[in-house]
Amino acid sequence: MNRSLIISSVLHALLIFITAMSLPFLAKKPLDIPPIVSVELIQIAEKTNIPFAPKAKKIIEKVKEKEKKLVSEQAPPKKIEKTKTKTVLAPDQNNKKIENETPEAIPLPDKTLKKVETKEEKKQNPEKVDDEVKQVSEFEKKDLFDPNNIAALIDKSKEESAEVLKTNDDITQDQERNVENTGLTLSEEDALKAQIFGCWSIPLGLPYNENLLVRIKLKLKPDGTVSKTEILDHARMNKPGQGFYKVLAESALRAVKLCQPLRVPTTGYERWKELQLNFDAREMLEG
Amino acid sequence: MTKKILILLFILIPIKANALIEVDITRGNLNPLPLAVSPLSIDEESRKGFEKILKKENIGSEISNIVENNLRTSGLFNPLDKKAFLQAPDIANLKPRFEDWNLIKAQALITGKVNYVDDKLRVEFRLWDVLAAKEMMALAFTTVPNNWRRVGHIISDKVYERLTGEKGYFDTRIIYVSEEGPKTQRIKKLAIMDQDGANNKFLTLGNELVLTPRFNPASQMVTYLSYFKNMPRVYLLDIETGTQEVVGDFPGMTFAPRFSPDGKKIIMSFAKDGKSDIYTMDLENRIVEKITNHPSIDTSPSYSPDGKYITFNSDRSGYQQIYVMKNDGSDVKRISFGNGLYGTPVWSPRGDLIAFTKLHKGKFYIGVMRTDGSGERLLTENYYQEAPSWSPNGRVLIFYRETKTNSKGEGFSAKLWSIDLTGYNEREIKTPTDASDPSWSSLLSN
Amino acid sequence: MRLNKILKNTLLVLMACLALTACATKKEVSNVQGQMQGDVYTGTDTVEYLADGVPDRVFFATNESILTTASRETLRAQAGWLRKNPSINVVLEGHADERGTREYNLALGERRANAAKDYLMTYGISSDRITVLSYGKERPVDSGSNPLAWSKNRRSVTVKAN
Repeated sequence: MNRSLIISSVLHALLIFITAMSLPFLAKKPLDIPPIVSVELIQIAEKTNIPFAPKAKKIIEKVKEKEKKLVSEQAPPKKIEKTKTKTVLAPDQNNKKIENETPEAIPLPDKTLKKVETKEEKKQNPEKVDDEVKQVSEFEKKDLFDPNNIAALIDKSKEESAEVLKTNDDITQDQERNVENTGLTLSEEDALKAQIFGCWSIPLGLPYNENLLVRIKLKLKPDGTVSKTEILDHARMNKPGQGFYKVLAESALRAVKLCQPLRVPTTGYERWKELQLNFDAREMLEG
Repeated sequence: MTKKILILLFILIPIKANALIEVDITRGNLNPLPLAVSPLSIDEESRKGFEKILKKENIGSEISNIVENNLRTSGLFNPLDKKAFLQAPDIANLKPRFEDWNLIKAQALITGKVNYVDDKLRVEFRLWDVLAAKEMMALAFTTVPNNWRRVGHIISDKVYERLTGEKGYFDTRIIYVSEEGPKTQRIKKLAIMDQDGANNKFLTLGNELVLTPRFNPASQMVTYLSYFKNMPRVYLLDIETGTQEVVGDFPGMTFAPRFSPDGKKIIMSFAKDGKSDIYTMDLENRIVEKITNHPSIDTSPSYSPDGKYITFNSDRSGYQQIYVMKNDGSDVKRISFGNGLYGTPVWSPRGDLIAFTKLHKGKFYIGVMRTDGSGERLLTENYYQEAPSWSPNGRVLIFYRETKTNSKGEGFSAKLWSIDLTGYNEREIKTPTDASDPSWSSLLSN
Repeated sequence: MRLNKILKNTLLVLMACLALTACATKKEVSNVQGQMQGDVYTGTDTVEYLADGVPDRVFFATNESILTTASRETLRAQAGWLRKNPSINVVLEGHADERGTREYNLALGERRANAAKDYLMTYGISSDRITVLSYGKERPVDSGSNPLAWSKNRRSVTVKAN
């Protein structure tokens, strides 16, 4: 025991000596450390316990501040109402239909309260509530599902896009020079992307292995507020078994609304007065 | 003719010249969706009626508290502070002033009201999209007053489904093993509770050791391992009636039971002469089938949701690894190839993933991989944790975690924890005693 | 010249490291001295006796069910004792440590007890007299969370059944 103690202390002393000797030697040669490059890690690592990039949060806060200003300055309840009925009209009708299709929700064509009571303790039957609150006139008479309506909607969207093309044509005639310079610059695009990243709460329940791409066409005002939104494949919202698509589309619409006014370039309104946003959550959901 | 050409030009030119600017949005935030759960409104007469029966001062608030708690614990929603609400519950339910809710940053709003009708509890609720200023869904339920907690859970499920696109998991129960006493002489009982920890109830007295209870996905049956008369055997328990029976007649230890997805078979391990193989027993005709035949330990079997495949744990390679085979035992393939030992594979009810326990360098991990073994993701690391069980929608895993004892062998505890597939939302599920071996039921209502 | 210096320095550091490691291992070994060989428990703290000179339990390495030389000796003593007392039947209780999943440990405990049973049978004990029972990790003798405690818990215990 004593011997090992002695050996140990001798060796320890030796170690301290060596360290003391070698340290100055090392100090002579300062290592050439390259400047630290900070990299934002997007890919979620093998072990995922770290909350998502704080950058996004900051963006949201900024956006929220902006929103506050907007509310106080413009306070446009009427405006919202108007745009709503116009722009969200088509999806609304579709939602309505889907709801009526689902077997769990019992549709009430005569709009009377249907009471389903269970005497058994363990089961409740959900019933559809009377729509006494609905104030939007468009919803009326749309209760019954009619496949022809879809066709009508699709046709309508075609008409709309045709209209769009016409207006575009006017522009091209007026300002031909601007047209050549289409597209946003990288920094412009990044600014817009970063803003929408912050507004978009991804519905985490969506499957990552399905093709869920929601394309939304926006009409913008010069200040970046959105005057019209249109889901390009909105026919898909009607289809049974596309519940995920509908959820994603709704979340994308919320993101656009939440982000208003969009962070658009200060110049070249004609370039970006119409924008298409492609919402694709796969990268995030795959995690 | 010229007209046609003109039209053609008319169409072609703008497309070529002014393509619509497209911006790809491939990222978003994983922050929980801010939403407001307005307390369910209740008229004075109904309030008094329920106060008498349920001893709760305001059943409307109680139910909305359940909804709020469920949505918060899911990690996908952020219920906002009620103090900030500007609109009274009864008025909000009739016609929300969306600007008010927008102002407090709510993106969705839940309103509703409670009535006392013919000794029954009648609850209606509505879900509103605040930003789009429209109603998303409206439902009503009528039930006996004692079911008020379940009403809260069902509302949570409906909201969850409408906003995430997949079914919820709130109207469910969890069966687990309650643990008490010193580590060397644990007393274990079967216990059952609601998914949120309420209504805890013990199902056995603790006279014999019980382990690994598992729910039948199709009924209120449970299968588990009991050391009744010191003979470790797989048992079947009917929660409604309390009747118990031993499963099959095996000359040795049966363990690691689990139901088939249709609830008609039990799959389990049978150990004899130092080797454990996997067997199934049909609960209707009692026919026993041997599925694996290997001198190694084959255990922890779990069916795929379509019943066509079985994943299990085997040490045929020398160490514990995860395998997948067809339901007749053919086509055995090893799927785990990472460093470490792999155990307790459980097939997700969605079918796309297998959850597992991994032991590597003295740490235990709960993780998931695809059914071919690719895409391994470790969700949580700890000193000891195992036995993941899926929520019925395949989004959350519940498991148990044991603590390290100190140098005197003190400080041992076992607790239930849950984590969702993103690995962000990890939380303890409080139980009256220590707890282990949790198993999640299917949705009680559909 | 410079290279020489670097080499010299590396050598010095290496030596220092060696000195340190020697220190560390020495300490650890003395801690568990006489209690473990490899990671098989060799102590007698938890051992009880079926009769004079007949220990009741054998120990195993992590994840193993192979009998060590010491285990075989113990089992031979048990076999002798069983032959002398033909009216006694035994239960072999297999156990595992806490560092494994519950279900696998149940199987592992069975495998360990069975290894002991097979050995007893080769020494002429009828399988009718032996029952095998696995407790997995459910009944540790030492509640510690350290290698020594785990080694005590990886065991097969022979218990009189009547």
